[in-house]
Parts: sequence; C-alpha cells; structure tokens
Amino acid sequence: MIADEAILARLAAMAQGGDRQAYATMLTSCRDWLLRYFRRKVMPDQVEDLVQETLLSVHRKLASYDPARPFYPWLAAIGRYRFVDHLRLAYRHAGQTSITDEDLAIDSKEDAIASRVSLDRLFDALPAPQKAVIELVKVKGLSVREASNQTGQSESLVKVNIHRGLKRLAGLIEEA
Amino acid sequence: MRTDDIIGQLVADLDPVTPLHRRSGIVRILIGLAISTFVVVYGFGVRADLVAGRPDPMFLTSTGLFLILALASSWAAIDMARPSVGTRRDGWAWTAMMAAVLPLAALGLIALDLSAGQPVYVDASGFHCLVEGSTAGLLTLAIMVLWLRRGAPSSPPMAGMLAGVAAGSAGIFAVSLCCPESDLVHIGIWHGGTVILTGVLARLFLPRLLAW
Repeated sequence: MIADEAILARLAAMAQGGDRQAYATMLTSCRDWLLRYFRRKVMPDQVEDLVQETLLSVHRKLASYDPARPFYPWLAAIGRYRFVDHLRLAYRHAGQTSITDEDLAIDSKEDAIASRVSLDRLFDALPAPQKAVIELVKVKGLSVREASNQTGQSESLVKVNIHRGLKRLAGLIEEA
Repeated sequence: MRTDDIIGQLVADLDPVTPLHRRSGIVRILIGLAISTFVVVYGFGVRADLVAGRPDPMFLTSTGLFLILALASSWAAIDMARPSVGTRRDGWAWTAMMAAVLPLAALGLIALDLSAGQPVYVDASGFHCLVEGSTAGLLTLAIMVLWLRRGAPSSPPMAGMLAGVAAGSAGIFAVSLCCPESDLVHIGIWHGGTVILTGVLARLFLPRLLAW
C-alpha cells in the first residue's frame, strides 16, 4: 500500500527526528512507490537495483527533505537523479538485452502528483529525435544499429543524440 | 541483497538529522560575506570617496549589482540542496543578465574605440582586483560547497556554477569597497570578469565534489 502525501511528509519529519518506526514505514512506502515508478522505464531485472540505490540516496540525503514541502516531488527528484545516473552507466556498457512489451508493465492509476513527477514527463521534455533513440537503446535495449534503422537517423547521429539527450535529462530533473 | 534487508539496515543506521532550511543557509552566506568584507576592508582600506561620504554613482551602481547577484545566486544555490520536481530557480539569471550589462558595456566601449581608430586602454592593474576578488570569494564558496554536499543538488554542474557566481560576486563586492576605480571599462572587464571566471571554474571543477 502506498501512503498518501501528508502521511509520508509527516513520517519523513519524524524520521528526521530519529523515529525508527516512522522511518521503516516511510521507506517501505517509498519502496512500493519506486517499484511502480521505475517499472515502466527500466528493464525488469534492473528495477530492484534502482529502487535499492534510490533508497540508499534517500537515507544519505534525508536532511535535504523540507517537511514544509510535498514529499513525492522530493522522492521523485532523487529517483530521477538515480535514473539518469543509471542511464549514463548503461550508456558506457554495451551488450544490453532487449525486452518485450509484456515486460513493460504499465500501471494506469497515476494520481495527480505521480503524473507531475513521472519519468515520462521527464522524457517528454526531450526533443523527439533524442527521446526516440534513448527509449529505443536505453529503455528497450536495442542496438545502435537497430535504433538507426527504426528512426532513420545515422548510427553516429544516434550516438550523438543519446549523449545530448542524457546530458539534457540531467538538467531537467527538477524542471520537467 | 533483498530490498527489505536494506530497509532494515537503513532503519538501524538512522541518526537524527537537521533539515536543510533555506534561511539557515542564507544566514551562513551572509556571515561569510560579512567576514570576507571585513577582512578585505581591514586589509586594503575603504575607497576615499566612500569615506568622504560622496561615493561615485558608477561605484554605487556596480557594487549594488554585484551584491544583489551574490545574494540571488546564493539563494538559488542554497535552494538547490533541497531537490523537488516541479521547481524552477531561474530568478538569479535575470540578476545575472543585469550585471552582465557591465562587461558588455565595457566591451562595447572598447569596440567603439577600436572602430574609431583610437588606442584602447585597459588598465593591467585591474588584474589585482580579479585575483583579490576571487580570493575574497573563497569563504563564500566553501560555505556553499559544504551546504550543497549536505544536500542533494539534482544538477551538480548548475549548482557548481551558481556557487562560483555567488562566490565571485561576493568577493568582488568586498573588493569594490576598496578599489579606487570608477571607470566602466575597469569595472566591466576586471570586476565583471571575476564573476565570469569564478563561475566558469566552479562549473568545471565543482560537479565532482557535488555529485551524490
């Protein structure tokens, strides 16, 4: 179950004060939310790793949460930061496997906040050519050549667009 | 390792933390600015027209612009420590554009002189202002870096650049109180150049320190 905004904000404030029980509840809710959050944008075998990395960042950066502000936009900013970092790392490693459409589970029940902070929104802020190749190569796991064939961009342009797109994503983490 | 196990470990490791409130960040910056200004003024003395109570209008305008730029960029950098999707922090950019009028006007004057075939004079002694201004901004920079490292800036390059601009502006504000020059070319090139230099250097070198 995913706690609502006000409850999580309160739990986070209590966790900042050292309340372990509140912290455990908060992290469990964060885990559930992050699982849904990342499921549609990374390959299934990487979701758990990304959730764990984000929870570690939440732990290390707990002081950066302001209890007077909404909780989910803060959590999403940390999640997006880890996600873009994940894409960058994947960019440096070749040999990703592709995934099928069935693997890309889509949860249609997005509430207003989740919509605002979604990863799709981050991608939508990219120019279409950059968005297309990043989604094909980094999310669906196609090779540069396959992405080139699908988009009509040359292979070198695919690489350039991935590089520029990732750089741009990093700058859009909070704004998009 | 399973996520539940990690959660268990994180809960066991929990220590109370103090939330990063913007107000306490800006108070630190103001204290740093006051200390830097005091040290510079104590070391070099206040410019004569200010002591006489008849400050030059150019000095007042430019120094005020640098002070406002220091505060605006500090405010934005401090807020960057607290990430939140849907946040825009571009207010500092308008202040930066206002301050950019100084170096642009200086370059314009130089260009006019060149086009008229007149000799261009840029005082090399202004290099001292650049060095002293950059040095005077180091305390502001240190405060900013420590603050940002406690937080979670979602864009380390932007946070680094803002910290550099804030440090350069704060430093050159302090030096302006001592610098006897009121010439637009001097202020635009050397004082404005200090902010540009510190911003570029911080943009290049700070992201590694601020990544998390």
